[in-house]
Amino acid sequence: MLDFLDRARALPRLGLGISTEYGARRQDGALDPAALRAAHPAYAGFLEVGVELAKGLDDDAQAWAARGWPTTYHFLDVNLDEPEDLDPAWLAGMRATIDALNPAWLCGDAGLWHFGARDRGQMLLLPPILVREAVAPMAAGIVALRAATGREVLPENPPGAAFVGDLHLLEFFAAVAEAADTGLLIDCAHLAIYQRSRGLDPLAAFDALPWERVIELHVAGGSEADLDGLAWVDDDHGTEVLADTWAITEAAIERATNLKAVVVECERNPIPAVVPLFAAARERLPAGFAAAPT
Amino acid sequence: MTEGADVMTDPSPSERARAIDPQRVQRALVCMHFDPAFAAAVRGDAALELPQPLSPAERALLRGVDPRTLRTDAMRRARAVQALLEEFPVTAALLGAPAVDAFFSTPRFREAVFTRGSMALAFAAHLELHAQVVGGAATIEAAAATVRRAAQLPPPAVDLVDARAPLRCAPRFAPRIVPGGTLAWYERALARLGPDPLRALAELRRPWRKRPPRGGQQFLLIEGKEGGSLALGGASEGLVRLLLAAAEPRPRAELAAVAVALGAEGHEAEELLDELVGDGLLLRVAAP
Repeated sequence: MLDFLDRARALPRLGLGISTEYGARRQDGALDPAALRAAHPAYAGFLEVGVELAKGLDDDAQAWAARGWPTTYHFLDVNLDEPEDLDPAWLAGMRATIDALNPAWLCGDAGLWHFGARDRGQMLLLPPILVREAVAPMAAGIVALRAATGREVLPENPPGAAFVGDLHLLEFFAAVAEAADTGLLIDCAHLAIYQRSRGLDPLAAFDALPWERVIELHVAGGSEADLDGLAWVDDDHGTEVLADTWAITEAAIERATNLKAVVVECERNPIPAVVPLFAAARERLPAGFAAAPT
Repeated sequence: MTEGADVMTDPSPSERARAIDPQRVQRALVCMHFDPAFAAAVRGDAALELPQPLSPAERALLRGVDPRTLRTDAMRRARAVQALLEEFPVTAALLGAPAVDAFFSTPRFREAVFTRGSMALAFAAHLELHAQVVGGAATIEAAAATVRRAAQLPPPAVDLVDARAPLRCAPRFAPRIVPGGTLAWYERALARLGPDPLRALAELRRPWRKRPPRGGQQFLLIEGKEGGSLALGGASEGLVRLLLAAAEPRPRAELAAVAVALGAEGHEAEELLDELVGDGLLLRVAAP
């Protein structure tokens, strides 16, 4: 098998895109992906579909896929470091969904998506334990999922408040990427949250990451909050993007020589409210990166 | 081979102290997120009641967690409680929501977290502690939780060839014996909770005082169907006891003997077993 940087050449450039997950548009005024694509084609070059197989694909995702428009598959229900999670029934469901979406690749937060079994009421999202011992199991899960689906699997740095372990988040994901020989999805908002939680500069440990492996970036709004004197950021995908997030985004774009896709995560907001976000993201990208899809 | 070479040896005490299993740390961290009392205990020095003990290094990692970071999602435990209320509405009305909430501070909950278990099924097991209060209503709701999950799983491997293969009750069926009148009481209880049981439970000022029946026996069969729906109804004593006898795979001859003991004629027993296999209530499973 070619190494990842060779394989990455075959991945399509998707440009600027949007995200959705099951039922995202039930909220009044939430973003209609197809309407955004019609009004602003360059902002909706692809749809990143958040998939929890127990829920399936909603009408928006199915309609998008039916038109043959580009997608990526963002898993929301697999603990990559637990081999039991790649059970035959779940894999069969994932393959069927891949058939429906024909995603350019698979991606998703490499964290704990559920405690105990994958069962009702047990879904959550916690970041991985940031220790050396956690690298190999995570990498093994990525390799196994890639082998089982035939698609590249890009782990994403998850959000969180309680980060445990002595490794910096970027050191951890660098080690996972090397061990799994895979690409990466860096969520700039999640990284800003992590850096703040550790009292670090937004660009701390940037040199630890093999940026040539970064294929996709996420940009999203977040709300600053306080809990008994603890300053923390709620990753609410709102319209206010932290300055730290933009600083990380700009530095990441500069370094990510194989960047193929940027998602602005804002699925529960109306189009007029998010257009400035897309414009701000586009301004930061190389000319032509977010060209209107054909 | 030279003695001692290439032989796996047990880790030394100092190696054990330094060992870090990230999954174990993660699972303990989950329990800390759900249970502030457990989080405080982790920060203390007393032994922890966990299915797998934490190494000193693992506990040191967790001691470093700022307890405020465990509370940034203020609704985490409430959402989990809601999931239990949805599956155990009548049980919850009998116990009261605070007693359901208290489940998240029990060893049963931590066991489910550490063993890839089901929260709902762990709660069902936890209800044994409250059997005097919840009675047959909890038996019904626990069985429903069990078969609802079993119906979503691929069926066990079936032996299609050997007609004499061992038999077991199909996992999506739950035969149960409850006190007499429980089913009618349960249906009235559901009706009392109305079309929005969650709201009714939220508005409940105190647990119901009227308890489910206690005396006599009633025989029930609960079936989980694809898509999550259930069929719940009475069944004959013989059928329920026969299916209970087949909770684990049993040789066919043994189960035929049970059928005879339950009142079937000798020749009828074999026909009965075939009929139950045909109806999907019993499965032929591969011999161990």
